[in-house]
Amino acid sequence: MSVIGTEQGRVSDLVHPAPPPAPPAGRQRGPVWFAWKRFSANKAAVAGGIVLGILILLAIFAPLVTKTGPNQQAFLTQALSPPSAEFWFGVDDLGRDFFTRIVYGARVSLTIGFAAAFCSILIGIPLGALAGYYGGKTDWVVMRIIEIFSVVPPLLAAMLLAAVTRGGFRTIVIIAGLFGWVQVCLLVRAQVKAYKEKEFVRAAEALGASPGYIIRKHLIPNAVSPIIVGFVLAIPLAMMLEASLSFLGIGVMPPTPSWGQMINTGMNFMYFYWHMAVFPTAALAITVLATTLFGDGLRDALDPTLKGT
Amino acid sequence: MTRFILQRLLSVATTFFIVSVIIFLMMHSIPGGPFDGGEMPLPPAVRERIMAQYGLDQPLYVQYFKYMGGVLQGDFGVPFQAPGQTVVSLLSQAWIPSLVLGGLGVLIGAPLGILLGIAAALNRNTWIDYLASAVATLGLTIPVFVTSMILILVFAVWLNWLPSSGWPEPHKWILPITAYATIPLATYARYTRSAMLDTLNKPFVTVLRAKGLSEGRIVYTHVLRNSSIPMVTVFLPMFIGTATGSIFVESMFRVPGLGLFFVSSIRTRDYPTEMALMLMLTLMFCVAYIISDILYAMLNPRIRNGGRST
Repeated sequence: MSVIGTEQGRVSDLVHPAPPPAPPAGRQRGPVWFAWKRFSANKAAVAGGIVLGILILLAIFAPLVTKTGPNQQAFLTQALSPPSAEFWFGVDDLGRDFFTRIVYGARVSLTIGFAAAFCSILIGIPLGALAGYYGGKTDWVVMRIIEIFSVVPPLLAAMLLAAVTRGGFRTIVIIAGLFGWVQVCLLVRAQVKAYKEKEFVRAAEALGASPGYIIRKHLIPNAVSPIIVGFVLAIPLAMMLEASLSFLGIGVMPPTPSWGQMINTGMNFMYFYWHMAVFPTAALAITVLATTLFGDGLRDALDPTLKGT
Repeated sequence: MTRFILQRLLSVATTFFIVSVIIFLMMHSIPGGPFDGGEMPLPPAVRERIMAQYGLDQPLYVQYFKYMGGVLQGDFGVPFQAPGQTVVSLLSQAWIPSLVLGGLGVLIGAPLGILLGIAAALNRNTWIDYLASAVATLGLTIPVFVTSMILILVFAVWLNWLPSSGWPEPHKWILPITAYATIPLATYARYTRSAMLDTLNKPFVTVLRAKGLSEGRIVYTHVLRNSSIPMVTVFLPMFIGTATGSIFVESMFRVPGLGLFFVSSIRTRDYPTEMALMLMLTLMFCVAYIISDILYAMLNPRIRNGGRST
């Protein structure tokens, strides 16, 4: 990248015959700078990132921005009252402040999203690295596993699994991880495959480095941007899965606040108490949308060649 | 071509077999059996006899083949939620609403999506392009039950134009069909747009322009045909998305279709019905898989001769 800088320098030499003695040839601009440049030019991605950041802060500091605990039925006498200055999002049918429920819902949704994405990279990185590095039979086995996972529609399989296990926080994280690793695995595999023929890997091999060492020290660090992209894009998928399962009543169990669950409850009240349906719907839509836009932007910024995959 | 189709049929049949075994095992791994008796515990001898009568004492693989043998003859057992009926008679009514609403949704959404994608690709960076991108992003990221909820809130609760639920009268179809249509609409808008842009940038289009063909002829006779392959590949995910979406659309709009039965049988732990629905859905996906493979092979000769479609 610095080559371009010096060439521009030369062009300007020709235009302005006597340049002042080298204003230090421009900073060395690394790939991170260019990624940031591309990212910040993408308005939707920046907006998504900001919204996501606010949501994460709200989720972390939930006890500070809300007046009660998420399951505290503190306002039973005012149950179902509409939004007002005192209750921003109204009160739900069981006398709980609805704003509190929504904020704690962000906590549940984001925790599941991040935990599941972490599970996905935990499964995806080693399998992708092994398949990419060894190729041949190892690659064949991993690709067949991926094929099975891509033939079965994730939501249906998740519903069946959740129905059998009766849902719950941990089960959902595991299910989402189980169906989220495929993308990460494919990205890592492609990157490792591209790098394993490079000279520095050959050199490491010649110096007697073991395959495990090469994968850990050379190949995985070079796959860091696809890993980040895979991680971020796995988050909204997991959040959607959680909301869908909770909506059907086989996800996170009450009284844990979950947006999917709240939408389901809100449906029964929507004609008379619209706030019960509107706020969880909006919260879920905004969060999933923001995370996806942020992830897409990150993908385009970190590796423009991945665009559209 | 025949060989290719046979090959695909065989591999899809294998997948179907594996998936059906997995579903069967999962159903049997659920703790608790039908005669474990909570309120009225049976004496062990009686329990054993009843288990033998229903064949539940036999090894799992025998039970599996017995079950599948019954399935091949159209016998899916007796649903727990309606013991007087069979699963088949219970579900035979449910096909109609799912097929009508889902089918109309795809028939309306897919062409609209394709048109939107084409318009977006031909008018890059204009409002229509942004509209297409917005529709595609929103439709593909927001879960369909959220879309349904928004539709209900706006058109049924606030504007009070349309009923929010129900089935037989056609004016009650409008909202569910709209909800269904968002899936193919978003999918096709995105992929048609990118496929068209891809083709428009190919050198042969430049050559056609140089030869003096009108822009309309270039687009309609050359670019569209060459962009059709990605549209076919998208068919399968779109179909799966719509079929899975029916579970949510139908429970949102209370349409008595297959999706609603899927949810109710999960809620009431009606395992025979759920097993039957899972098998039917898997079979449907397998058929869709084969159809999209064959279409793909017809459009792309390179696949026919030994390659793979994915």
